[in-house]
Amino acid sequence: MRYNEKELQALSRQPAEKAAEIGMRVPKKGSVVKRRLVKLVVNFLFYFRTDEAEPIGALLLEHCRITKEEPSGFSISFIEEPDRKYYFECSSEEQCQEWIDALRRASYEFMRRSLIFYRNEIRKMTGKDPLEQYGISEEARFQLNAPQPTGIECRKEEGLLGRAEISPNSFWPGGGGGRT
Amino acid sequence: MKLNEQSVAHYAMSGSPADHEGFLRRCSTPGGRQPAAPRCWFVLKGNLLFYFEGQESRPPLGLIVLEGCTVELCEAPQEFAFAIRFDAPGLRPYVLAAEEQEAQEAWVKVLSRASFGYMRLLVQELEGQLHELQLSLASRSSAPRSQARASAGPPPDRPPPQPEEGGPSAETEGDEGAAKPPAPVGRRRPAENWACSPACLPLNGGDSPVSPETSCFPKLHDWYGQEIINLRREWLQSRALGGGL
Repeated sequence: MRYNEKELQALSRQPAEKAAEIGMRVPKKGSVVKRRLVKLVVNFLFYFRTDEAEPIGALLLEHCRITKEEPSGFSISFIEEPDRKYYFECSSEEQCQEWIDALRRASYEFMRRSLIFYRNEIRKMTGKDPLEQYGISEEARFQLNAPQPTGIECRKEEGLLGRAEISPNSFWPGGGGGRT
Repeated sequence: MKLNEQSVAHYAMSGSPADHEGFLRRCSTPGGRQPAAPRCWFVLKGNLLFYFEGQESRPPLGLIVLEGCTVELCEAPQEFAFAIRFDAPGLRPYVLAAEEQEAQEAWVKVLSRASFGYMRLLVQELEGQLHELQLSLASRSSAPRSQARASAGPPPDRPPPQPEEGGPSAETEGDEGAAKPPAPVGRRRPAENWACSPACLPLNGGDSPVSPETSCFPKLHDWYGQEIINLRREWLQSRALGGGL
């Protein structure tokens, strides 16, 4: 598969949502934990040698699974080969948790589900589609009934599957009574 | 530079919804070596534009990451052409041609809005709108949820304790117990965040994927889920008491 390295390098220079020097071990035989600058930019996680400007590599964070690893690490694996793990070692449990939280929200698919959820909630409360004002209510990617990938998302983050469908209108403060 | 190519290709071929797809002809490539290429099947998924040899062929031939680029109509030997241009120096544009004007316009529209940042702004905006709605609802009716909330305990997304621990905590608790949405009041409005680069968002405590100091979607989900879990527990208990199983 072709991709332009320069495009990815340019992206890696963009402001990071999160960046830190932490330990990292790639899923290669005999690989050991090394100090790396790890940088989250949109849905890509870049990793650098600590003394180099260009990244060694990038991980696209779609259809991945973020797992807590003892004592204070986490791992990233991908759906098609779940046993192949990129392992990261943080300096504290707190730092580890921050990374896990950030990475779990880093996918475009997560953003899409969040958007559908908010759109649906607002529509239920106001009777109006909030996307209409932007002229994008017809776009395929924002549709409620877009086919959901099955068996994938729930592995990535438990409880995510079907959020858009089981949105909690009946449990909302004020419930349906809030509609005007 | 490495990329988890296998996983990227897997994502390209997975059943997750495509945001747009169709045939396009590549008028040139970043390498610039090829003349007009045969048409390829293009699939947009989020901020990633994949191309395949044909509609059914696998795996993808290539990937274009739609970040830091602009998409615009352009002049080319082919009709219905448009270009994806990158802001960074030294990056050549992709010039692609659709098969008809309608398709050309549709592609330019979706590609120019495909970036992660655009999606994030939208989510942030709707998050803010929902928050406002919740606040206005909460100020109108506060009774219905208070009882349930009391049994459910404090929402798990409570902001970290304020520095002034000795303050009127009981009163604060009372406030929290009312039908207030699980977000700290006084959050920044999304509009203010628009001016700031994406980088500053999660650095700001990382409370929300899209805007800081806000309850976010998974937290809301967990929070409301808590009530369901409690109700289920009560139901199970009552069934155990009454039914014997």
